[in-house]
Amino acid sequence: MNKDTKVLVQGITGKEGSFHTQRMLEYGTKIVAGVTPGKGGESIYGVPVYDTVNDAIKEHDIDASIIFVPARFAVDAIYESADAGIKLIVVITEHIPVLDLARSLKYAKEKGSRIIGPNCPGLIVPEESLLGIMPARAFRKGKIGIVSRSGTLTYEIAEILKDYGQSTVIGIGGDPIIGTKMQDVIKMFDEDENTDEIVLVGEIGGTMEEEVAKMKLEGKINKKIVAYIAGLTAPKEKRMGHAGAVVYMGMGTYESKVNAFKKANIAVAKTPFEIKDLL
Amino acid sequence: MKLYEYEGKKLFSRVGIPIPKGILTEDKVDWSGKAVVKAQLLEGGRGKRGLVKVTDNPNEAIQEMKKLGISKFLVEEFIPHTREAYISIILNRDLGEPIFTLSKEGGINVEEAKDTKQFVVPLERGPKQYDIIPMEKYLNVNNLSSIINGLYKIFTDYDAELVEINPLAITEDGKVYALDSKVILEDNALYKHQDLLKELNREYSSDNYVELDGDIGIIGNGAGLTMATMDLVKLAGGNPADFMDVGGGANREKVKECVIKVGSNPRVKKIIMNIFGGITRCDEVALGIIDAYEIIKKPIFVRLVGTNEEEGWKLLESKGIKYYEDPLVAIGDALRS
Repeated sequence: MNKDTKVLVQGITGKEGSFHTQRMLEYGTKIVAGVTPGKGGESIYGVPVYDTVNDAIKEHDIDASIIFVPARFAVDAIYESADAGIKLIVVITEHIPVLDLARSLKYAKEKGSRIIGPNCPGLIVPEESLLGIMPARAFRKGKIGIVSRSGTLTYEIAEILKDYGQSTVIGIGGDPIIGTKMQDVIKMFDEDENTDEIVLVGEIGGTMEEEVAKMKLEGKINKKIVAYIAGLTAPKEKRMGHAGAVVYMGMGTYESKVNAFKKANIAVAKTPFEIKDLL
Repeated sequence: MKLYEYEGKKLFSRVGIPIPKGILTEDKVDWSGKAVVKAQLLEGGRGKRGLVKVTDNPNEAIQEMKKLGISKFLVEEFIPHTREAYISIILNRDLGEPIFTLSKEGGINVEEAKDTKQFVVPLERGPKQYDIIPMEKYLNVNNLSSIINGLYKIFTDYDAELVEINPLAITEDGKVYALDSKVILEDNALYKHQDLLKELNREYSSDNYVELDGDIGIIGNGAGLTMATMDLVKLAGGNPADFMDVGGGANREKVKECVIKVGSNPRVKKIIMNIFGGITRCDEVALGIIDAYEIIKKPIFVRLVGTNEEEGWKLLESKGIKYYEDPLVAIGDALRS
């Protein structure tokens, strides 16, 4: 993604869609079209609105789509974008039922689309393009790549690292099933010439962090990684907010993640503020 | 949403999973012969707490448990069996497919079981005979079809997160019975299952609040930031009283509701609130805090930055509520106060 990425907003006339369309435009993101069924022909902040994604792609070149559609209709929005051949689909919507999501993610993958999210803050290349809901104040151009399972915690950590600046920041979302995993993003950062060091923001639940540790241990990642895991004080088997942060069957505890990182020589910060000292 | 054992068993019998005959009661039952009396609670570990009793006199067991404040009981026929096993289905996060976990030991914490095996059943097709045969071989039983198909049906038809039978009883003549049920439905999908909620007489309650045993109320936006705030408070020597995530894009009403909920806990002496607005707007948050503050009147330390922060700050200032930009300073001030 860069300043030339052409973006479609699905759910552009809704409360969140319109608000964040304006924010993204202010940031410099090239939003070329929007979709809201029944609102085709209107325009919002100068962006033309279409009834369907297919109508929009007839009139515009589109590289990426961002979905603000409410949870009940968001899965259909994913299918629609994938069918239209859009290569990058960012799903901001939270609370999408997981089985519906699992089916649609598999479908989109088969169609060749990459999904970021759902329930994610999106991604940002500071001072170039924002494809998401991240508050601009936290980000500055630099050489640190950040990948995170948590939205607001990402803003917090980006701001703490403002003096270093960031190459790209990706919030992959905290749901149990997501389109793009931490391992994929870490691999991309490792190959990205604009990224010098990687910050990984994880939380309890799931095993993605352990998988990253394994990749590092096996020498598949060359760049330095500093990790932070939220949930040190979270009680087991209790769900901490969104569906991802729960320890089931003893998998993905705070300890198992931290131990995996230590074994792989990945520095682990105890608090978000300690990340700065470990870079 | 976690279901009670008897609710889970209602679903079991609907999809053809064999269960013992039983009666749900709040008081006396008409019963002859050996029975199992089980307290209907949502917490686990009932066996260890003496809340599952095998008895010839179920009414006596009920009266005893009533003294412990339990109000609902499932009385079931006792099924003599020679072995116990474990079966569950969840969605595997890495594969995005349902996965059955089987164990030859029942009644255990599955993470501690030595002998378990997992079987993936793709969502596109569901369980087939050739999936079930290796499962039967593994557990050394002959008639798992109704169990496996039933678990899968509950899992997909009702959008369950977990469906578990533990223990699964295997009788001397090779029959299988689900002696217990554990069913967790996915909160995000409950809107599709209003009929079931009505039938069970249950209402949806959000999981964004978890009570802990400390005295400092914690509120954040986003699960990650809220957990990180709890961790920071703990590392600084404080004791969190809860986890409360106001959720994405919380408005004035929602914020007010959350602050009141946390502030109404009598153990909570002060509240630390950590908001970094993205989709959430700081002015809405400030309005919600102001509304709630007038009701709960407990010290509140608000860290507020992000989308529309200046509007939010102005609102808080106008009511004399101090705000912070740096969460560490907010936590420090709260702990020292």
